[in-house]
Amino acid sequence: MPQQIKRLISVFAIFIALFLIMRQVLKPESFGELGHYRAKAIQENTMKELHYAGSDSCAKCHEDILKDKSLGFHKQLKCEVCHGPGLKHALFIDKVNTAQIPDSLVLYKPIQRKDCAICHQINAARIKIQFDTINTSMIHQINVLDHNLMDLDTKVEYKCIDCHNPHQP
Amino acid sequence: MTQDKSKFSRRDFFKAGTIIVGGITVTSALAPFDGVLFATEPPKGEGKWYGIGIDINKCIGCGKCANACKLENNVPKAPFYFRSWVEQYTIKNDGTIIVESPNGGIDGFKQSVPDNEIFKSFFVPKMCNHCAKSPCVQVCPVGATFETPEGIVLVDENYCIGCRYCVQACPYGCRYIHPEKGTVDKCTLCIHRLKKGLQPACFEICPTEARIFGDLNDPKSKLNYFLKNHTCMVIKPHLNTGSKLFYNALSPEVR
Repeated sequence: MPQQIKRLISVFAIFIALFLIMRQVLKPESFGELGHYRAKAIQENTMKELHYAGSDSCAKCHEDILKDKSLGFHKQLKCEVCHGPGLKHALFIDKVNTAQIPDSLVLYKPIQRKDCAICHQINAARIKIQFDTINTSMIHQINVLDHNLMDLDTKVEYKCIDCHNPHQP
Repeated sequence: MTQDKSKFSRRDFFKAGTIIVGGITVTSALAPFDGVLFATEPPKGEGKWYGIGIDINKCIGCGKCANACKLENNVPKAPFYFRSWVEQYTIKNDGTIIVESPNGGIDGFKQSVPDNEIFKSFFVPKMCNHCAKSPCVQVCPVGATFETPEGIVLVDENYCIGCRYCVQACPYGCRYIHPEKGTVDKCTLCIHRLKKGLQPACFEICPTEARIFGDLNDPKSKLNYFLKNHTCMVIKPHLNTGSKLFYNALSPEVR
């Protein structure tokens, strides 16, 4: 074999060896175990903080409201749909076991007109109402901007919840 | 120096050629690659293989899913960072299509076209399709985004270099660069909730149960029941992304 070929082979061998060593050092842990990625990244993604508790945890304390709700049109709505994420609220009660809940953990009460409008404002894309049947795909719609806006004598604005009980509308 | 031709004869060339070509033929016959099957059949993982179903007929456009996603996953509040959002499609009588998504639908929708001009109108909730042949995974130069064995497309935040290739590649617009972290961010199918036995936040919160979530490999799952009983379609099927987000009553106008 000519000498220049021999030299080339040795140069290549050195480069390949260097590459292998560097790869071993620089390759992140668990890379390539399941594919072209760090297998540990799946673990890291599961470590995130939770915010929504799920409806089961509400039943422990608020059984009466859930019973009310199960009789009305809103029976399939979960509590957190309107009241917002409640895991911290639920965990606090579990740990401390008292009704003395700090203000920061009291859940949102949707009492303004705009809260109801999010679902019930009339819109052509929403499914048209049918009052006689309870069907999951039907929703009662109203123009929240002019439906019984205020008391005509005192000019006090009505809230939706003055007439409708949101847990049993 | 002239080359010594006698050292590598024609006979040697054919010998070496036969060995190389023959070797390739034999190995490909033992493990055949069916191009047509690869292109048409979506891959099916082993064990759990998560998919999503959305019933457009049931969606009332309340935007609670978009809101829940932001709260659960600490997505920036600005109205252009979304992992999950709702669009209102309005098709007018003259055929023009209007697509609206004010703040992703979180603050509710206002009907912008009068009733008598509307041919049809509907809401389309959108989110990551968790494609089985994801374009975003294919373009990542460092392997920071990947499909898990359960069929969830995830981002490795500690490994992402923020090059934005995947943001460009996603045909559904489901990725954004997180303004504080500087890395790409997307729907994780709330894998942190799944591992604790809870549903993803947007599925948990949907008031009309328009969103169905389940295991495609389990014949008894809610999702398979939904797929069997409805005429379902994915968005942009011609792109062959292996999308696992199936819509019922999807109009061809939806892009």
